Amino acid sequence: MNRREFIGRAAAAGGALLLVENGESRPKAPSDQINLGIIGPGSRGQQLMRTFLRVPGVRFAGLCDVYEPRFAAAREITKENTPIYHDYRELLAARDLDAVIVSTPLSLHSQHEIAALESGRHVYGEKSLAFTVEECYSIVDAVKRTGKHFQVGLQYHYAPWYRETLRRIQAGKIGRVTQVYAYWHRNNNWRRPVPNGSDKKLERLINWRLYKEYSGGLVAELGSHHINFANEVFGSMPELVVGSGGIDFWKDGRETQDNVQVTYRYPSGQTLVFSAITTNQLDGAQVRVYGTDGSAVLTESDAIFYYEPKRPQSAVAQQTIVEHGIVTGASYRSEMPYRGPGETVSVPKDKQGSPDYVACASFIDSIRRNQRPEADEQVALAAGMAVALGNQAIDHGKRIVFSEHSRQT
Amino acid sequence: MKSPDELFVQSRNAMGTVFTIYLYAHDGELAGVLFESAFEEIERLEEALSNYRATSELSRINRLAARQAVTTDPEVFALLQTSVAYSQRSAGAFDVTVGPLMRAWGFFRGGGRYPADAELRHARESVGSEKVNLDPATRTVHFAAPGVELDLGAIGKGYAVDRAVKVLREAGVKAALVDAGSSTLYAMNAPPGKSAWTVHVPRPGDRSQTVSTVALRNEALSTSGNYEKFFQLNGRRYCHVMDPRAGVPVQGVLQATLIAPDSTTTDALSNAMFVMGPEAGSKLLATVSAARGLWILGEPESQRLVQWQWQDCGGDVQTLVTKREKGKEQIAR
Repeated sequence: MNRREFIGRAAAAGGALLLVENGESRPKAPSDQINLGIIGPGSRGQQLMRTFLRVPGVRFAGLCDVYEPRFAAAREITKENTPIYHDYRELLAARDLDAVIVSTPLSLHSQHEIAALESGRHVYGEKSLAFTVEECYSIVDAVKRTGKHFQVGLQYHYAPWYRETLRRIQAGKIGRVTQVYAYWHRNNNWRRPVPNGSDKKLERLINWRLYKEYSGGLVAELGSHHINFANEVFGSMPELVVGSGGIDFWKDGRETQDNVQVTYRYPSGQTLVFSAITTNQLDGAQVRVYGTDGSAVLTESDAIFYYEPKRPQSAVAQQTIVEHGIVTGASYRSEMPYRGPGETVSVPKDKQGSPDYVACASFIDSIRRNQRPEADEQVALAAGMAVALGNQAIDHGKRIVFSEHSRQT
Repeated sequence: MKSPDELFVQSRNAMGTVFTIYLYAHDGELAGVLFESAFEEIERLEEALSNYRATSELSRINRLAARQAVTTDPEVFALLQTSVAYSQRSAGAFDVTVGPLMRAWGFFRGGGRYPADAELRHARESVGSEKVNLDPATRTVHFAAPGVELDLGAIGKGYAVDRAVKVLREAGVKAALVDAGSSTLYAMNAPPGKSAWTVHVPRPGDRSQTVSTVALRNEALSTSGNYEKFFQLNGRRYCHVMDPRAGVPVQGVLQATLIAPDSTTTDALSNAMFVMGPEAGSKLLATVSAARGLWILGEPESQRLVQWQWQDCGGDVQTLVTKREKGKEQIAR
């Protein structure tokens, strides 16, 4: 995808948002009901279920999981006896499904998503796209082959304040953007409780994010959102990445790093630095976009712009300095960080909405209007490849060049 | 042999107050994971139910529901149904649409003021749970008048406490106490070696003094009161709890405490109890299974107690009630 396509998509997303919030995504007739199935209604899947059920004319027609307690939890959300399946192939064999949500561990995405697409269903697939670069391309191929819609679960792609910030950046409000520094800093062990703590199999199932067999760790689960935004700001995917990380604090049997730092270089000489740590939350989750004329700082609920000191200005008005002279002294130039106020991005009332709601409503709208989703398989590929290659850079301590892994689609 | 469980505590800001969770766990690391998952559930509900956050589901409903029927998810819909049902059961004493009245009286920012007649009339036009149409067939919310807004502040914390307790139970916790700003709490089971959790109901205006001590086991308790915030006008004293039926703040009630099997009920109905007072309030409590109620009436300097099915375990309760008042005010089932 070239820069123009990237920017074109960004502009279109603002329009889609307005339609969704005004409630135009409602069914035109009872036959417009969209029946969803879900593979993997765990914690994230359950949140998606609740959100999809806020969209008019949406119903869950099938729940699939390998962990029995999930069925009761998911049925508590639908508040009906939604059919359950222990095998995703049985779910996909059901007749009445229009689309499938895949919120399974990362290493299972491609298997579940390709099968869902080939069964003739549209797919909402959780981020990151897939475990390996090859699997990412296989999903992209399957979308092309089947002609079905695919939307990736990068919900901040739809966040109203992200869209507005991107629009301002693209309009040149902060000059030429040279760097994005993105943080996801937490102070916890990233674990979920396991009902029977000594059951090793259950531990790997519930805490799959901590095991390399299933998970791309912090870069995949947290970094993919920030990487996607940097891709949008820079108008392309990165061209190379270096990384570091380790299991340095939570030495509890986990296999994925408890801290990672990856640096991505983009084709026009721009840089994304992503850091995720699990021992300090001072910086929380934020994206800092640095331009020659200003900065934008985005969080999970707002965005604030800051402007650089003004460029050299005409001093004609201060002619007295020429007539009376200037006082000399020791030179001093402050390099203190800026600690003043900024300009908060305000989103018009009719464009407000949670990232999850706008993402889910947009997906349903894409199905009803037969339109390509904004965060489609190409957006997913750009972020997903960066995740997979970022993890390779960390694991092998190597500089990874994207062109050696990418192909033209 | 496994060492006995230890008590752990953690507090976090949520829903405009401080939630505190006490739980017994084998070690600090496990406790940390348990706190994380319980607080994550509370945070999830704040993100759904807050009317301060523009991104919440409730804000979305408030933005759109005067113009069109708004579909919402079964959980939020059920909580709205529960809220409207409590409004009906309390004849409007509990009301999630009370926001415009609170604003007219200046209770959202600052100390309060007497609103102009026109302002009060205008506010009352948008208040009343009958103006919230809920259609279970489509799971939609539609306001019958412009200006209606939902505020779940008097029920959402209770619901969040119940949900956090559910998360802890499912994670295998044996004993816990989940507390939302000390106004609503749930006592799950009992500390090791004890038969119940002990909760002290404070004297209004002086939290260091206990009015009554109760023992709770798998029960919730909520206290409504607003003796810290009040304003005086023309010699009358107004607290910050609104009587939605009258359109004026409640007078003569200092505190109402309710014990019942779940926190959603105690949070909402302790509010209704406060507004209704003991006479009508005890009739409402008679419809709630296993409910126990305690009112403190009067002025901060001259308080009197009225109890309904109340069971004090410390023997303190009588000390505040004179014999004559006790005989007169105690309401028996």
